[in-house]
Amino acid sequence: MKRSKTMELGVGLFMLAGVLGMLFLGLRVSGLTFNMPGDTFRLEANFANIGSLKPRARVTMSGVTVGRVTAIELDPEWYDARVILELDAELEGRLARDTTAAILTAGLLGEQYIGLTVGGDPDMLADGDTIRDTQSALVLEELIQQFVSNMVSD
Amino acid sequence: MSDSPLVEVKGLHFSRGEKSIFAGVELQIPRGKITAIMGPSGTGKTTLLKLIGGQLTPDVGRVLIDGYDVHALSRKALFTLRRRMGMLFQSGALFSDLSVFENVAFPLRVHTELPEAMVRDLTLMKLQAVGLRGARELMPAELSGGMARRVALARAIALDPDLILYDEPFVGQDPISKGVLVQLIKKLNQALGLTSIVVSHDIQETLSIADYVYVIADGQVMAHGTPDGLDVDDDPRVSQFVHGEPDGPVPFHYPAPEYFDDILNQEGLQ
Amino acid sequence: MIQRVLSLGRRGCDVLEALGRSTLFLAQSAFGVPSREGWYLWLRQMHFVGVLSLAIVMVSGLFIGMVLALQGYTILVDFGAEQALGQMVALSLLRELSPVVAALLFAGRAGSALTAEIGLMKATEQLTSMEMIGVDPLRRIVAPRLWAGFVALPLLTIGFSVVGIYGGYLVGVEWLGVFEGSYWGNMQSSVAFIGDVGNGMIKSMVFALVVTWIAVFQGYDLIPTSEGISRATTRTVVYSSLAVLGLDFVLTAVMFGGFS
Repeated sequence: MKRSKTMELGVGLFMLAGVLGMLFLGLRVSGLTFNMPGDTFRLEANFANIGSLKPRARVTMSGVTVGRVTAIELDPEWYDARVILELDAELEGRLARDTTAAILTAGLLGEQYIGLTVGGDPDMLADGDTIRDTQSALVLEELIQQFVSNMVSD
Repeated sequence: MSDSPLVEVKGLHFSRGEKSIFAGVELQIPRGKITAIMGPSGTGKTTLLKLIGGQLTPDVGRVLIDGYDVHALSRKALFTLRRRMGMLFQSGALFSDLSVFENVAFPLRVHTELPEAMVRDLTLMKLQAVGLRGARELMPAELSGGMARRVALARAIALDPDLILYDEPFVGQDPISKGVLVQLIKKLNQALGLTSIVVSHDIQETLSIADYVYVIADGQVMAHGTPDGLDVDDDPRVSQFVHGEPDGPVPFHYPAPEYFDDILNQEGLQ
Repeated sequence: MIQRVLSLGRRGCDVLEALGRSTLFLAQSAFGVPSREGWYLWLRQMHFVGVLSLAIVMVSGLFIGMVLALQGYTILVDFGAEQALGQMVALSLLRELSPVVAALLFAGRAGSALTAEIGLMKATEQLTSMEMIGVDPLRRIVAPRLWAGFVALPLLTIGFSVVGIYGGYLVGVEWLGVFEGSYWGNMQSSVAFIGDVGNGMIKSMVFALVVTWIAVFQGYDLIPTSEGISRATTRTVVYSSLAVLGLDFVLTAVMFGGFS
């Protein structure tokens, strides 16, 4: 059978372009990173209300992304939300035990993320520990209610 | 080689939908000879070839090729048996995406492990036999009808088969092409020791090369014999066919109500 | 009345029979043992259905991405949320538009051509003569086309998404002035690789299988006359478009409908 070099080249380039496109969709569009699984450590945090926080949300410190939310579940003992965080390994053993975690919102309608603020405790958080001091998400209805009841009591 | 016939058709019944096409056809195709199967259009001659080739399955009856029952074989065994058969289609049926050379080389490539140089030599030999060695680079779309049929013939003999089935080889050809094809079929049959089955309604050409003739009409064999000894006037239908009379047992008119009644009957127009 | 029920039943049986026949056909052609030459036959079909469809798919993707950004911007800007443009463009492309529109274009460009090509081979007795040479046309003609379509459409869908997202970037960032950082950043924080890109790819593979299957089956099963070929070509486009849109709803309900 007669073989055509231009055709083979065309198909080869086509398939290569497909692979490159997939890489683009993975890295640039979904923001995947090639972190090794051992490069992170886990912390837990309980929130009274997580608002619309979702798995894979960012975890930041002073605005810098340092990790991601990996799972959210209901704690059946306290009936609050237990959020599992995965943080960069370089922070392991360097976060004070009284570090606070707050659920923040990017802009008025943006996605929600977790912000960490370091405390002053000499003891450090280790893999699997729980952050005690948390601040729930702001829920718009609660804010308005608070505002209205303040107006009435004034 | 034994004297037993290469192809035997026994008690063949075949119908398409409600319409019966064959009702008890018996054929014996002798080895190394050219056997012609003739009959008016629409008597299912092509269907008969497809039954022999195993593409259609009969309702009743058997087709034996060299002792194998074609329709009792597994798909794989059937494809193996088909390597010993060549078939020349009415339209040539060349693969339109391959050149003339590749078309003829196709059976060699798929069925043999021959080195490229030998495939080339064999292909050129077959093309030389049909006189088209110079046209090897052409594509099928660039060939005339007669040339396409000759290329198809070269392809059909590429694997040196025992049996070749010709489906209407002379239809729609000018006299020169017809003459060429008649010569080719005869020469190839002698040179390669083939058994040939020619299905045709071109009486002159077919009788000039056939060793034995079957005439088929109304789903049955009407007459058979050698071209000289064929008793054509025994049966009115055979006689009409061989002499080319426009009207007779095979009517000129398609079945219709009486002409006179049909003309005068204008109720439908009201 | 009984006549109607009878004819309904007969038609139902016809549909079932055609489905059974085409499933058998799919199984026979897809799992034929690949020959040495099969690889090259597949490559040729990849060129035919893939490379030659590339231009129309890419151009459509670019325009659809640009239109999405333009429309999305005018809606989002009312809520002051135009920074979420990247997220909107990427999610609608990856989850819905790329798999569906690429499959529809593919059915029109490559599917109809496959049907007509195989139909013409049937009409000129090429399939029969191949069988008489002792080569199974399902394996030689149909299988490479089936597999080429199955591989080519997901690749085209990837291309469609990439070009569409770039088109959205051109309009949103370069023209309308959305911050480049928030276009990509919002996108990255909301697009899940498995959940969005992956599910889009699964959709695309399902569509690829269905569209090529319909195309080659219609070609193989048609009545070999010029009218038969033109009808079968039309049927290919109509059936595959309907199948793609219907299956899209089912797949979306399963993937994103929250029934799991």
